[in-house]
Amino acid sequence: MAIDLKANTCPNREQRAGAINAYYGKATDLVQEARNGTLTNKERDFQQSSGCVLNFYLTTRVVTIRDAVMIVHAPVGCSSTSLLYREVYRRIPLSEGRPADFDLHWLTTNIDEKDVVFGGADKLRYAIKEAQERYSPKAIFILASCTSGIIGEDIEGVVADMQPEVQATIVPVHCEGIRSRIIQTAYDAFWHGVLKYLVKKPTKKQPDLVNIASMLSYTWQDRQEITRLLNRIGLRPNFIPEFATVEQFEIMGEAAVTAPICPTYTEYLSNGLEQEYGVPYFMYPSPVGIDHTDEWLRTIARYTGKEKEVEVLIKEEREKWLPKMEKIQEEFAKARPDGKKLEILGSLGQGRLLTQVPYFEEIGVTSPAAIIQDFDNLVLDEVEQIIDEAGDFDVLVNTFQAAELAHITRKYDPDVALTCPFQGSAYKRNKSSTRIHALRGDSRQWSAQAGYKGAIAYGNFLLQSLKNRAFQQTMLDKTPDTYKDWWYDQPDPLHYIKKEI
Amino acid sequence: MGTVSALKPKNESPYPGVVEAPRYSCALGGAYMAALATFGAVPILHSGMGCGMAQNFGQNFAAGLNDAGPQGNTSTPCSCLVEEHAVFGGEDKLRNLIRTTLEVMRGDLFVVISGCVPALIGDDVAAVVKEFRDQAPIIHVNTAGFLGNSYKGYEQFFEAVIDQLLTVQPVVRKRVNLLGIVPYQHVFWKGNLQVIKTLLEQVGVEVNMIFTEDNGLEALRNIPSAELNVVFSPWSGVATARKLEEKFATPYLVFPSVPTGPKDSTTFVRKVAQRLKLPKRKVDAVIAHEEHRAYRFSEYMAAIATMALPHAYTGIVADAGTAIALTRYGSNELGWLPELVIITDNPPEEFHDEIVRNLTIGLDSVVKPEVHFEIDSHRIRLLLREHTLQLLLASSLEKYLAVDELNAMQVSVAFPVYDRLIVDRNYAGYRGGLALMEDVAYKYGGPL
Repeated sequence: MAIDLKANTCPNREQRAGAINAYYGKATDLVQEARNGTLTNKERDFQQSSGCVLNFYLTTRVVTIRDAVMIVHAPVGCSSTSLLYREVYRRIPLSEGRPADFDLHWLTTNIDEKDVVFGGADKLRYAIKEAQERYSPKAIFILASCTSGIIGEDIEGVVADMQPEVQATIVPVHCEGIRSRIIQTAYDAFWHGVLKYLVKKPTKKQPDLVNIASMLSYTWQDRQEITRLLNRIGLRPNFIPEFATVEQFEIMGEAAVTAPICPTYTEYLSNGLEQEYGVPYFMYPSPVGIDHTDEWLRTIARYTGKEKEVEVLIKEEREKWLPKMEKIQEEFAKARPDGKKLEILGSLGQGRLLTQVPYFEEIGVTSPAAIIQDFDNLVLDEVEQIIDEAGDFDVLVNTFQAAELAHITRKYDPDVALTCPFQGSAYKRNKSSTRIHALRGDSRQWSAQAGYKGAIAYGNFLLQSLKNRAFQQTMLDKTPDTYKDWWYDQPDPLHYIKKEI
Repeated sequence: MGTVSALKPKNESPYPGVVEAPRYSCALGGAYMAALATFGAVPILHSGMGCGMAQNFGQNFAAGLNDAGPQGNTSTPCSCLVEEHAVFGGEDKLRNLIRTTLEVMRGDLFVVISGCVPALIGDDVAAVVKEFRDQAPIIHVNTAGFLGNSYKGYEQFFEAVIDQLLTVQPVVRKRVNLLGIVPYQHVFWKGNLQVIKTLLEQVGVEVNMIFTEDNGLEALRNIPSAELNVVFSPWSGVATARKLEEKFATPYLVFPSVPTGPKDSTTFVRKVAQRLKLPKRKVDAVIAHEEHRAYRFSEYMAAIATMALPHAYTGIVADAGTAIALTRYGSNELGWLPELVIITDNPPEEFHDEIVRNLTIGLDSVVKPEVHFEIDSHRIRLLLREHTLQLLLASSLEKYLAVDELNAMQVSVAFPVYDRLIVDRNYAGYRGGLALMEDVAYKYGGPL
């Protein structure tokens, strides 16, 4: 579907790509239904808080843009997640490549009782002027909220009024929390603003520049590894949005290619850059695991004329890392006394589905099921490719529904459950559990996941989880469960799914 | 972007609400955290999908890297309202959610907290909640994010409890409620409550623990049976105490902070003893014992206090209660020089004079602090730059500024705190000052 940059914002993922956030069944059926167009969203009678378009976690991504100001046009609570702004990434030592000039800013318009009656447009105008005066930023992002949406704030009108008065480029982002059930709509809404207002028409090409939209859940070490690999073949990564400068957005049209780390996170941007400025992109694979890192690098090399150099690099890297990988594979192979493959249950975004399942294949473990936040038709070919590689598997589509996650974790009872703070009590169990990904700004080598180095680090990380289960077992023993017993005794994690909507 | 503009006088701003990084969340956030702090209570959010999850990083994780507990964050039932509910109403969605929550979640008390969306679209939340009154203890906190901040939400939680749950009860002699310690906004809330409880029990007072102990519902119900309500903030919780006085004739005592160190702890114990007419001999004995131990233990930190931090020019950026406690302990027991205090919890005007009095009167230090009430983190930064400080007790927002711009040593003691885990840690009571010194010296200490 063509991207319409004349529009104020993107369509929701539901409309654009048939996205859903509730499904339980076989991966093959899911893909088939998506292809048939018969996949429909379902309402839950029991639902838990799961992040919204604004707060998964657009606020915490946008605020990291280094010479910009974020204005959250909302009641005061909608931006409280951004209180981390002065610290996030700051622990990363300068010796690891963090730029020294690093100062982030955001404002709230603090919509109050009066504003919901009389409107908050004047406050927003004032906030824009204040942002310009205080910080002289290159860009000012305005993030909308449920409240600004429902009271009918004319954000576009304010932007049109104010742009002539301020030097910074104003970028409205229509991320009203209630606009969509699919949190990935947030990414599209953000990229829409970026494409419409920030990316400049290229005056030259930079044939060695590779756009990479990185997710918060990939670490600083992953950036370092990707930078190392691309530099070795004479290329430079342009990491956006987190930690980027406004200029890095402006020059995206000059890049040779847009490469994925998380393809469905980036798709709208990649698509838009191709449509508007002819920057090609690809969606698969991502640089997770040795084989997929090879392929990722090869694909980039094809777009940048580095085919020869990349083969030299891959050969050298494989020589260095394969023996380490083999050791990891050996250890996983003997992890279970019954000789069967170790089972790991991962919960992930749609993008991680495409990276983690093949990585598990590579290290010699298996996934009894995949749990994904939401699912749409943007990556059907890629999911089919994974089914071909790994065989069919069960899929639970579920945006951080903690009760469902606790249920499915107990039902499959995998050897290792990968969890994060968004999975509630699912970590309490008798077998292993460990985290899916690291805290933001965690720059330890230990936490790497991407590239060759990450493939080894992550394999070893998962192995560690098999060696001691004291924490999760003790917590299971000593603390009451959040849910009643019948919840686990019935078979369906989507017990509370309701009518079609 | 290291350059920032000069400070403008505050009265120039036509919109004082437009600020950088105010140090609290919304009223829904405050009510939600209070519900989570009440063990056995299950919050039910009638709101957009993100209102629960957002508070995870904006409230509990921001308060010393804390989890939200077994009913918090993604475990919190939420009606997850989207556009169609904004058009057609969200009451049915809420009705189904309450019904299913009662089916599946373990809990003694269900707290429906309504947010901005139902307030704007006019859902009759109270009517829906009423339908479930005969099935389980359930209350409705009728709030919205745009009605105020976390402190407001804390008081609204108690308003709902008082109006919908409490009945007149016989007063139990020497029983007290502890008010004004706002979960997560006061980052040491759990430890503070525990220390105060233990201290009061030593002098024969029974503390009705609403937060952090099992049977939260029972404790809530017991609120009217207290002989005295004690508020541990110059302002937050005062509205709750006033309402309880109105409705149940319970008198209240406002102590401006959770006391830190022996001197203020003794003042506190004597005040409570006087109000509750506790036997003097027992109170004196407890005070003597606690003071003796605290000062005997202070001997162990004398060298590091003298060598590392003598007469430090101190800046404090914190909520009013924390600022008062640390200013007084630093000034009256450690010999620090309180140069600057910035109050960040936005107390209403009517309390400002009293707060300033508590921060400037009764200090041993010749240096009295310049006191500012400021919620704007940018302006706080500029204010700090105008002073020469050697020690900064603040939030973790000041962590890197202290090093890069002020050349001062900083310890995170006030919301938000993203750089240390605070589970049971606190600076309360007789031993609280020693704990503070442990944390300060952890960053400062070195070989002689």
